[in-house]
Amino acid sequence: MTTRTPPRLTTARAPGRLTAARKPSRGHHDRALFGRFRHGYIAPGALLVAGLLYLPFLWTVYLSFTNYDGLSPATWAGLANYRALLHDPALLTAIRNTLIWVGGTTLLPVGLGLLVAVLSYNIKGGAWLRLPFLLPYAFSGAGIGLVWGVLLSPGGTLNHVLGFFHLPGAHTPLLSYAPLNTVVLIIAMTWQQIGVNTLLFVVGLQSIPREPIEAAKIDGASGWALFQRVIWPLLSPLTTVVVGLALVASLKTFDVVWVATQGGPGRTSETLAVTMYRDTFVADQYGYGSAVAVLLTVVTGVVSVIYLRQQLSRRERLNG
Amino acid sequence: MARRRAVTGARVLVLVILGLIWLAPAYLIVVNAARPAGAYNPAHAWVPSGSFDLLANMRRAWDAAGLGESLGSTLLYSVVSPAIAILIGALAGFSIVTLRLRHGFAWFMLIFGGTVFPSQMLLVPLFVAYSRFNLYDTRFGLILIYTAISVPFAAFVMRNFFTGVAFSIFEAARLDGASTARIFWRMYLPLSWSALAAIFVLEFTFTWNDLLFGMTLAQSPGVRPVMPAVSALQSDVYAGTPVPVALAVGLLVSLPAIALFLATQRFFTRGLTLGQL
Amino acid sequence: MRRRMRKVALGAAASATVLTTVLAGCGSSGSSSATTNVTLKLYNDKGAWSPFFTQLGAVSKKDIGIGLTPVGYTDEPTYQAFIQASFHTNKKPDLFTWSTGGQLAEIARLHQVANTSAIWQQGIADGDLPKGLEQYYTVDGQQYCVPLNVAYWGMFYNKHVFAKYGLTPPTTWAQLMHIAQVLKSHGVTPFYETDVLFSFVWFEQLLVGTAPDVYQELSTGKASYTSPAVVNVMKMWQGMINAGYMSDPADKTDPSVQLKDGQVAMVPDGSWFNTSMTQQNLKPGVDYGFFVIPNVNPALPKTSVILESGPLCSLVHAPDPAASMKYLRWWITPAAQQPWSQSRGDASANPKVAVHGDTDLSTVMKNAGEGKYNLLLRYFEAAPPPVLAAALDAFGAFMVHPNTYMTQLQTIQAAAQSYWSSHQAGS
Repeated sequence: MTTRTPPRLTTARAPGRLTAARKPSRGHHDRALFGRFRHGYIAPGALLVAGLLYLPFLWTVYLSFTNYDGLSPATWAGLANYRALLHDPALLTAIRNTLIWVGGTTLLPVGLGLLVAVLSYNIKGGAWLRLPFLLPYAFSGAGIGLVWGVLLSPGGTLNHVLGFFHLPGAHTPLLSYAPLNTVVLIIAMTWQQIGVNTLLFVVGLQSIPREPIEAAKIDGASGWALFQRVIWPLLSPLTTVVVGLALVASLKTFDVVWVATQGGPGRTSETLAVTMYRDTFVADQYGYGSAVAVLLTVVTGVVSVIYLRQQLSRRERLNG
Repeated sequence: MARRRAVTGARVLVLVILGLIWLAPAYLIVVNAARPAGAYNPAHAWVPSGSFDLLANMRRAWDAAGLGESLGSTLLYSVVSPAIAILIGALAGFSIVTLRLRHGFAWFMLIFGGTVFPSQMLLVPLFVAYSRFNLYDTRFGLILIYTAISVPFAAFVMRNFFTGVAFSIFEAARLDGASTARIFWRMYLPLSWSALAAIFVLEFTFTWNDLLFGMTLAQSPGVRPVMPAVSALQSDVYAGTPVPVALAVGLLVSLPAIALFLATQRFFTRGLTLGQL
Repeated sequence: MRRRMRKVALGAAASATVLTTVLAGCGSSGSSSATTNVTLKLYNDKGAWSPFFTQLGAVSKKDIGIGLTPVGYTDEPTYQAFIQASFHTNKKPDLFTWSTGGQLAEIARLHQVANTSAIWQQGIADGDLPKGLEQYYTVDGQQYCVPLNVAYWGMFYNKHVFAKYGLTPPTTWAQLMHIAQVLKSHGVTPFYETDVLFSFVWFEQLLVGTAPDVYQELSTGKASYTSPAVVNVMKMWQGMINAGYMSDPADKTDPSVQLKDGQVAMVPDGSWFNTSMTQQNLKPGVDYGFFVIPNVNPALPKTSVILESGPLCSLVHAPDPAASMKYLRWWITPAAQQPWSQSRGDASANPKVAVHGDTDLSTVMKNAGEGKYNLLLRYFEAAPPPVLAAALDAFGAFMVHPNTYMTQLQTIQAAAQSYWSSHQAGS
């Protein structure tokens, strides 16, 4: 199969040579260019996800309208659980903490991940310099909780470090007070998750074509200007992936918090997912917990749609 | 030229300093996993002990947790599920971006929406459904759920990655008479080796470290993955497992993922040729 | 490069498909059901006890021809959800562990659990089961399940630290406070407390030592968390915290490590804590000891001791009900209880069993069997789940801000009120 030098597409509307001659119906054109089985490509993914992830969640939606306790048959409760959501102070704390998680996660793991990827790209030994940031993701679950327990213990390592740099908090038990405990846990999670973002940003950097960079360099751009004007825009497909994933993951934060504080002390470090879990499985209030789950899912879904719609349509406009 | 070298030097310096900070908790893990089981003291957690008991601790953990049978099945899940998910995700991404599927954004949100659900809530209905359809405690059942979980991430990355591939490549190949399937297999997939490798490494690790689904949807030693047994040692208060042993088993079980990260390093050093935009 | 990548991709896809089909077929499902060799599956939330269960399985195989395979879960909430869900499926457990208290009553009243009244009556007559334990396994006049384990809560102490300052195990509360004072003056933290999972320990210990009746009534909704007896307990607890007797509750270091290093001199815990101690190479009677915590109120007739007991249950619709019941019958006999208790170094429900090598524990077991203590069910089992969840959070918050005890009690009371208004009282 031969490859030709591909022609440059200049505008979004520029048609390929295929459509220049005549204007058949869209369906014909599509089938001619894209083949007959486009839907076949998307079917396995759609079916798998719909069957194994969407369908089971319908059970949760149903439960949110009941008073199920896990054992006795469920009794219908209508909107009672949702109304209770509005009066739950613990939920407000959870929402506040979750917002901190979203902000903190888009800043720290994403920002640092980008920094490491950019710094280590295209220099000798860059892959090895990246390794310390990738390995934490490979460590399994509870062992990390143990170690961070040591680091975050009262009078533990982090306290010593803060004291060394004469920063406030040297004598504060870091996990006992809100919202400090949330911030500290974000740091712990950053340590673990930065590798994912770094790796994805590296893939993005790898896919940037050389020509625009060379052209900009000829124009005299370098360093920060080069990054801002050329690299950053071209990185945007993978940036969207990283930020999109970070948004969803931060809204659903559970593991780190549960292992470290179980949402405590006194429910001060709970996130929406922790509240959901605690109400459903610890307090055996499946109905109310499911309402929290539905709230969490709706919020995550809406945020994702808004963010992705904005990102992806912007790219479509640039790309054709 | 000198300026370039200075900048590179600065970059390396920053990376080394940051890297050392990042390695600190890892150092803690290794040093304390190698400590004799009864010698752990949080006040001296940073000081390596005189004797190197790492292997002894690992062996003790291995015996206590009965890890042998579950390693094979965990490997199966961690290799097969991401592989299938990557394929399905790439197909989806390809159809949305390159084949310009009608209502592409909606289809994409449908698949990506799979990540939106909190997984803890899926456990009970999945268990009930699995037992009804005889999928409970089967390797196929676990492969199925791990694949389903992995598809949204793979689809997202591949979809966005494919937007960077020049559409003209597709058009030219179609003009040459290639079928879409051939273009997908012979052109787009090979072009994406970097993204494929990244997705595989990340999803292998994620599947390997899964606890909840493996614990709820399986029970036999040869079907259950490795994490439930490890977690029993590490987090169960009634176990009384000494910290060095708990850390040692965590390390032991992390080795395959670490090895994979090391082995795939070379995929992430070279640039790709995706054609011009 | 491209051709090779293509081949690799194709090869990977092909092998993946083949592997899946072949190995999926090899996935095992369900328990073995040969007629001569019966093996029962024990679902349990004590994943760490799997080796011990397997050991017992070997013993039972020899004794009664039935083997035991443990299926361990480590996350209690997930385990409960799983077991409850399994009642509605065709994957029911042969045997499973559960919780005494309201949880047991719930599943008993749903007619899911097998009735074991006959086993209990026979067991009490044979001396294999203590009469004092019966009430915790009784729902509406019938017994269900048998005790999987029994643990008594008391104080573990570091013998070397005690010896260093010339201290001996106390027999009165005043002596215990004196010991705390002495330790504090030498810079040793007397007591351990934690704000996760076991944040209720001091609450229950102080309450059963002052007003055990109120403690009982709390668990049936008849007493309020804001009643004077309970408020009094919180004030006492606050006093101990302010006097500096308590360790930092936010410290996540394992209590066995804190005790071993002398960071803390005493740890209130269940007798199963022995397992943690021996895993650290500590010897009972040499490095550490165990004593029953004296009542705060010396006027009470008997020393209150917190009892933790988990049931071993079988289902009415178990896959093999006869084998399950046979197993339960065997479980309470010394043939099972001796190795079970010895391997973990913990107490047994069977009064005939003693733990060799641990005099402190054996003494406590003997006294308990002779009815010398007022045994009270642990708060973790006695409180209904929503109330327990609220209480654990409230106690955790209290430990960080001890002067907020009234607010915390009110929070727990609100949860209790909401629960008891829609559930019948009675455990």
